[in-house]
Amino acid sequence: MKKRGKGMGCMWYPIGFTVMANPSAATVKVNEDGTATLITGTVETGQGSLTVLGQIAAEELGISTDDVHVVSADTDATPMDTGAIASRTTYVTGNAIQLAAEKAKNILFDVAAPMLGVRPDQLEAKDRRIQVKGFPQSCLPIGEVAAHAQNGAGTPALGSASYNPPTVAMDPETGQGKPFSTYVYATQIAEVEVDEETGEVEVLRIAAAHDCGTAINPMLVEGQIQGGISMGVGMAIQEEMLFDDEGRQINPNLTNYIMPTSLDMPDLEVDIVENFDPTGPFGAKGVGEPTAVATSAAICNAIYDAVGARIYNLPATAEKVLAAIKSKDHSDRQKYLPAG
Amino acid sequence: MTDVTLTINGEERSASVPPETSLLRLLRDEFFLTGSKLGCDVGDCGACTVIVDGLPVNACLMLAGQVDGRDVVTIEGLATLEDLHPIQKAFEEFASLQCGFCGPGVIISAKGLLDRNPDPTKEEIKDALSGNLCRCTGYTKMIEAVQDAARILRGEKEAA
Repeated sequence: MKKRGKGMGCMWYPIGFTVMANPSAATVKVNEDGTATLITGTVETGQGSLTVLGQIAAEELGISTDDVHVVSADTDATPMDTGAIASRTTYVTGNAIQLAAEKAKNILFDVAAPMLGVRPDQLEAKDRRIQVKGFPQSCLPIGEVAAHAQNGAGTPALGSASYNPPTVAMDPETGQGKPFSTYVYATQIAEVEVDEETGEVEVLRIAAAHDCGTAINPMLVEGQIQGGISMGVGMAIQEEMLFDDEGRQINPNLTNYIMPTSLDMPDLEVDIVENFDPTGPFGAKGVGEPTAVATSAAICNAIYDAVGARIYNLPATAEKVLAAIKSKDHSDRQKYLPAG
Repeated sequence: MTDVTLTINGEERSASVPPETSLLRLLRDEFFLTGSKLGCDVGDCGACTVIVDGLPVNACLMLAGQVDGRDVVTIEGLATLEDLHPIQKAFEEFASLQCGFCGPGVIISAKGLLDRNPDPTKEEIKDALSGNLCRCTGYTKMIEAVQDAARILRGEKEAA
């Protein structure tokens, strides 16, 4: 008989490690045609980070994302970036870019202030213009200000900055410190169907609620969460590297290392729980790796809810689930949990 | 050597290749059509999917000699100079791909489905894409894009 169950998994995940140097540097320049060029050392691997970083520069400069030309990952020319790792790009690289764009913007403000007859701190960058706060009709096109900055004032609108998450060293006595700059939180709920006769698990539905600070690009955040869940489903019930006695992997092919296909994917419901993190660019934190963390816990709790069997090592293959169902005294628990 | 003459994306092409050459190697190495990707080369990943006489196949599992006289459509045959194919447009619109390596194969599998079944259910779409492995996306946005492209191709919705 097939039985259904629901389970929940909750997690937190650190963003912006501080245990060692973790810097990103960036350069932003505003061009005479009102566009901007963003130069960053980070690399796009498909997650959409260059889109998000372009959005951050655009927001700071009051121009459209389409106006930002992103130059990235040229080791001959682009500034240093620790890398597209550790779910850090939006947060760390994003902070560097916002700071760099702010510097370029301040040059534009210095140049525009005498042109508009106000102080630089009375200006804002909005709708492709440098305008007087509260008096938007008193304004100049950003391209005109940028042209005047380089051809008139002799101060091209250019900003370079770096960001390294602030470190608080661990106290050797208390173990207290700040190992990460900020944290994200998530809860996922899984619904599964377990075949009591074979132990086979089918994941039917997963609802995922994730905090990532400000979702700068909600569609890309959703894509990260959906992708992370597919990795979590694989980790929970399918994917396992097997080794022989000599340490050689015995399933090094996609025929025997089984990862989720479209048929293995449950229906997904994604809920982005936004909040504002004051240390992130426009309140953003991160979303990459955290998306896969809660999934296997939620699925294993759902298996327990369905058939009363606890799985203590992954993946929860049909063999393991069937064995656990047959030994409902959960004697396998001792095998996988540390004593006590 | 094996002589092969086939139609690729509407154009007749010929080549003379060693008999063990796969259709994928023929496309990539002889005709420089590198849109079809070489992933696993043993028919597991689907990154090399092309359409042969109307049906999606793994180009790595077919010999060049087997396509003599047949009609092959690759990812390069979908877009025109002016416009992307509606499936490609929908994939862009829905941000369906991330790293993109599986993309050409997925899009060709989707085209193979929609050519035969213009109004597929979600389950039929999942089934049609099940031979294309994707590590990044969880397939969700691909399925949504195929549903949207189907509506556009049926004329029920304007292209974006």
